[in-house]
Amino acid sequence: MAADAMTPLQRLAAYAKGEPIDRLPCVPIVGNTAARVIGARVGDFRGNGRLIAEAQVAAYRLFGYDTIRVFTDLYTQAEAMGATVHYPADETAYLEAPAIADPAEIQRLQPADPHRDGNLPHHLEAMRIAVDAVGAEVPVTGAVTCPFTNASFLVGAETLARLMLREPETVHRLCELSLETSIRYAEAIIEAGAIPSLTDAMSSSTVISPRQFREFSYPYLKRLIDFIHGRGKSVTLHICGKTAKIWEAMADAGADCISIDNDASLLDAKREVGEWVRLMGNVHPSAVMLQGTPEDVRQATLDCIRQGHDNPRGYIVASGCSLPTETPFANIRAMLDTVREVGWPVNLA
Amino acid sequence: MSEVKEKLFKELAAAVVDMDEDKAVATAEAVVAAKIDAYEAIEKGLSAGMERAGELFDEEEYFIPELLMCSDAMYAGMDVLKPHIRQDAVAEKRRVVIGVIEGDTHDIGKNLVKIMLETSGFDVTDLGRDIPPARFVDTAREIDADIIALSTLMTTTMDGMGEVVRQLNAEGIRDSFKVIVGGGPISQGFADRIGADGYAVNAADAVRLARRLTAAEAVAA
Repeated sequence: MAADAMTPLQRLAAYAKGEPIDRLPCVPIVGNTAARVIGARVGDFRGNGRLIAEAQVAAYRLFGYDTIRVFTDLYTQAEAMGATVHYPADETAYLEAPAIADPAEIQRLQPADPHRDGNLPHHLEAMRIAVDAVGAEVPVTGAVTCPFTNASFLVGAETLARLMLREPETVHRLCELSLETSIRYAEAIIEAGAIPSLTDAMSSSTVISPRQFREFSYPYLKRLIDFIHGRGKSVTLHICGKTAKIWEAMADAGADCISIDNDASLLDAKREVGEWVRLMGNVHPSAVMLQGTPEDVRQATLDCIRQGHDNPRGYIVASGCSLPTETPFANIRAMLDTVREVGWPVNLA
Repeated sequence: MSEVKEKLFKELAAAVVDMDEDKAVATAEAVVAAKIDAYEAIEKGLSAGMERAGELFDEEEYFIPELLMCSDAMYAGMDVLKPHIRQDAVAEKRRVVIGVIEGDTHDIGKNLVKIMLETSGFDVTDLGRDIPPARFVDTAREIDADIIALSTLMTTTMDGMGEVVRQLNAEGIRDSFKVIVGGGPISQGFADRIGADGYAVNAADAVRLARRLTAAEAVAA
């Protein structure tokens, strides 16, 4: 496959202005798979911003996708606020225990200091190094866990779910604390030369109702996005699972681009909110990207392009969610190669 | 069914659907005081309410928070009624061993499946989260389970599900159990590939699957 004629920054800038581009932007969302590119163990990313940067830059150079995203797991902000995270030697970290065992302990919680607490300083270091290395050609983003999802890690997902109905005020206090952490972290990310990239798994309609989203997640999401807009950055918002009934709210909250996974339809999203937001998605991260063949990836990618390429506010070919660590390199290449093959203007014949 | 009985069963079901723990307890106490059969009250009152909650979940009227609160009301009523169940009233229940596979601690989905299975009359042994494949096999053998139910939300841990099936095969006991799988990254294709007996897309579907598999087993036996 021919090399790209434009850098990601040139491509994205031209695409935003409606000028000619060499191909559609494409972001297979590479997280811990980057460890495999440099032969590192996932657990070694803990407390090692230099290694995260090395892996992410190497993965970008290997595949040539359009955004670097510094991300290891969803728990970095909650950990910085006191949650216990378990780090297996070579797998993605997981939440061992929430920050507080009982909602009554809420007064113990403080917003995190991103320059001091948990792994946040290391993630910021990773962003600075990546920006130094390749920031002139590709956007470097830092994953920010949104307030409602972070709140679920502070108190535990089931506890939070019950509190929504029993003690809504406590949920709002947890979200407020989480928002403050998110804003401080977003500010530090921007200072590091990177762009905050928002992810909000628990806000999915697979978990909470659209009405609960409006009540408990949306207000904080909006304030976070307003803050980032105030710093002159545009915002990509990812919510997993079912999202059709909250697309409008995601757009209302101010997202410039919404990233949806395979429980949602690009075609429907284009019809309903394509006039207001760019779309990103949604090749299945496990069934296709992890377990499929390169030909499966090619077909799934073509299918997504067919649905999304004429979205009024633009479309980024992407996986539906972060890729599993062991996603074969051949499948990531197949996604990029398919996008190069159809070129621009998109030729699907 | 007498009118009093019918009224109390309806109130139990309503207490569950309305997520009202206090009402579930008070109504269960009224059932006990009226010397109404406790087992029947669980089946036709609390379980019926939970089944309705499951339908509301399917219809996207209820979501995970509501379903959890309904189950809190159901279990609160159950705690009152259980000591009053006459042993001869209890039908032999199908046994399920359930857990989240090793390496994953997301158990909200597994807990919902457990609640819905218990509601539907299965006897569920919950191993919890982050469970090594061998423990599923050992526990299933110990309790003479009908079904082994495996859950994960993470793609990194899916292989552990295949490992459970491999161990059952290696020990020559694969046919003694039905293996069912579910969770975010799981698909019917994955279930087929690892040789599981079924895949369920959500908690309500898991109940239908478990019923279908155990009914088929009864016919075959």
